Amino acid sequence: MNLQEMTIMGFSNLWRTRLRSSLTIIGVVIGIGALTSMVSFGTGLQKNVTDAFRENDLFTSMNVTPKKFNVEEMMGGDVSGLAEMLEGDPEPLTDSILFAIRAMDHVEIAFPEETFAGKLKLNGKEISRSIQPFPAAMRRYSPYNELLAGEFYSSDTSHTVVIRWEALKDLGLIMDYPDLDYTLSKEDSIRGVRIITADSVIGKEIILVTASLNDDFPRNPLSILMKRDFEPFQEQERAYTICGVVNRSGEFSFDRFRGGLMIPEITAREIPRLNFSSIWDILGDSKDEGTYASIYVRVDEMEELTEVRKQIEAMGVGVFAIADQLQEIKRGFLIMDSLLGAIGTIALIIAALGIINTMLMSILERTREIGIMKAVGGSENEIKFIFFIEAACIGFVGAIFGLMLGWVVTRIANQVMNTVILPADQEYLDLFYFPLWLIFGAVAFSIVISLAAGLYPAIRAARIDPVRALRHD
Amino acid sequence: MSEVLNISNLSKIYQKGTIEIPALRDINCEVDKGSYLSIVGKSGSGKSTLLNLIGGLDKPTSGTIQFNEQELGSMTRYQLALHRRFAVGMIFQSFNLIPNRTALENIILPLVFAGIPKRQRKQRATELLDQVGLSERINHLPSELSGGEAQRVAIARAMANEPEMILADEPTGNLDSGTSAEIIDLLVSLNKEKGLTILMVTHDKETAEAVSDSIITLKDGRIV
Repeated sequence: MNLQEMTIMGFSNLWRTRLRSSLTIIGVVIGIGALTSMVSFGTGLQKNVTDAFRENDLFTSMNVTPKKFNVEEMMGGDVSGLAEMLEGDPEPLTDSILFAIRAMDHVEIAFPEETFAGKLKLNGKEISRSIQPFPAAMRRYSPYNELLAGEFYSSDTSHTVVIRWEALKDLGLIMDYPDLDYTLSKEDSIRGVRIITADSVIGKEIILVTASLNDDFPRNPLSILMKRDFEPFQEQERAYTICGVVNRSGEFSFDRFRGGLMIPEITAREIPRLNFSSIWDILGDSKDEGTYASIYVRVDEMEELTEVRKQIEAMGVGVFAIADQLQEIKRGFLIMDSLLGAIGTIALIIAALGIINTMLMSILERTREIGIMKAVGGSENEIKFIFFIEAACIGFVGAIFGLMLGWVVTRIANQVMNTVILPADQEYLDLFYFPLWLIFGAVAFSIVISLAAGLYPAIRAARIDPVRALRHD
Repeated sequence: MSEVLNISNLSKIYQKGTIEIPALRDINCEVDKGSYLSIVGKSGSGKSTLLNLIGGLDKPTSGTIQFNEQELGSMTRYQLALHRRFAVGMIFQSFNLIPNRTALENIILPLVFAGIPKRQRKQRATELLDQVGLSERINHLPSELSGGEAQRVAIARAMANEPEMILADEPTGNLDSGTSAEIIDLLVSLNKEKGLTILMVTHDKETAEAVSDSIITLKDGRIV
């Protein structure tokens, strides 16, 4: 008797006891449904995060800071002694450090990552946003290589700028794109918000307003007090042409923390601005000219990150690379997946008990039939296999329908989370993910569990004494 | 005629707790190929036990059963399964057909275990049903057959893998006299026309004397 015939016999035996078989299979369906939907939630989260890492080139990028961070303590969540987390004296990030980094092997790009505050005027509206000087070379990398509209500026001296979708929205212009699912609310209408086509903003002029200290700003606090009608700040307006719009940032995107407007690196140097983080920076003049708060470094290959990092750290500065934390994050996901999987497995184990029960009942009912099979020449192994196949069939059919159930449940849950829990204007997020390994793994796991459940009944069936079985009523 | 079965000093004792229940004691006999042997005796005399041992459904406590010079007592469980599959065909008083399988499917079952290809086994099963005169009952379930018809299906099933010997355990025990005669006639014709060796257990001594080449009478597990 070959495997195909035993499979057919297994299915036909299950079909004979349709109701009982169906109930047992439903148990497996629920078990597999619970297992896959829970694991798919874990894999979905993991996928969203790792995709965000990849999209934002976090596997190949790092930030150089003047001081070394004790990252482990920071990740521990205790920020009470933040000062102590910064190890040693700060090493100012000077141009010489920047050039040294740029000269290193495998470094593709390195630039000071600094933002300054500014006001944007467009469409008769004005908003405050952080402005980020950005080198034109970044146009090669995601997400700047594929803009929603227009193109990233190609020169560091051009007077063109790239604006973010979210900044445009706050300026009352919602840029349409194929997957945009946005309906104007009543509040939007009152505020004059309108939906515009993708390219209609390209070439438009945007006004950037920045503030700077008055030239006669005294460095002595007493002089400030003695001056009357003193205006410490002055505003300057500059016009730039919008050449591109950056796509809307995803929920897990790190890019969303960057400025609302990107301006060519050299062009940005002409802009007068306030460059301080506290009053002491103004009064004490502690911020040295030609030093930076942070330097963004990008390497050509993921594998080179560690080596380049070591070289930079040797200069006495701090380096923070999120990719370093990936192993930690992955371990966290593994623990979460295991917990979710364990809950699902409990459901499947309960289903396995159902299988054992069904199989034992079936053996009891079919004792005489087993005796007949032995009397006409069926071997113990063949009889064992017939019952094994029946168990495997329950597992297989249960897994297929269980996967369908899991998929339907996760689709519903995803819809609910997107419409009820997440903000209305948030881009649609797929919180669940069914990778191929989960689909095939669930089927294999279900069959293995079912076979394990069928092991004892099958052995028992094979060991039945044929003489007694033939007398069984 | 050559010898197909040789039983020597065969004993079978059942153990029930600490009590030993002897079912067969010191049985010795030979069966020639193509002969018709009947085993008669009262209930509990050990007739069915002897048949089960020859059929390889059970193992002897002591003694030997040589079937075509092969010792059944030393066979593994798998070898005994092959013995039941190819060497002997068994018929029972209660027919022992699988209730939810048709007449054809019941006959096909031993052919499935024998690994006969699908098309051939269907053809063979149909031929066998035709031989026992039930070609019109091919798709009938056992519950839709009369006692005589069910036993004919059982005989067809026993012949499926062309065994050398048919072991019939009270084949007419559940049948009326007219149907019993038909079944006995069928067994006789298989013996005479196809040269099948028949070993029949019965308590009907008259019928046994009428059709058998030789008779063994058992009493309390011994040949008398």
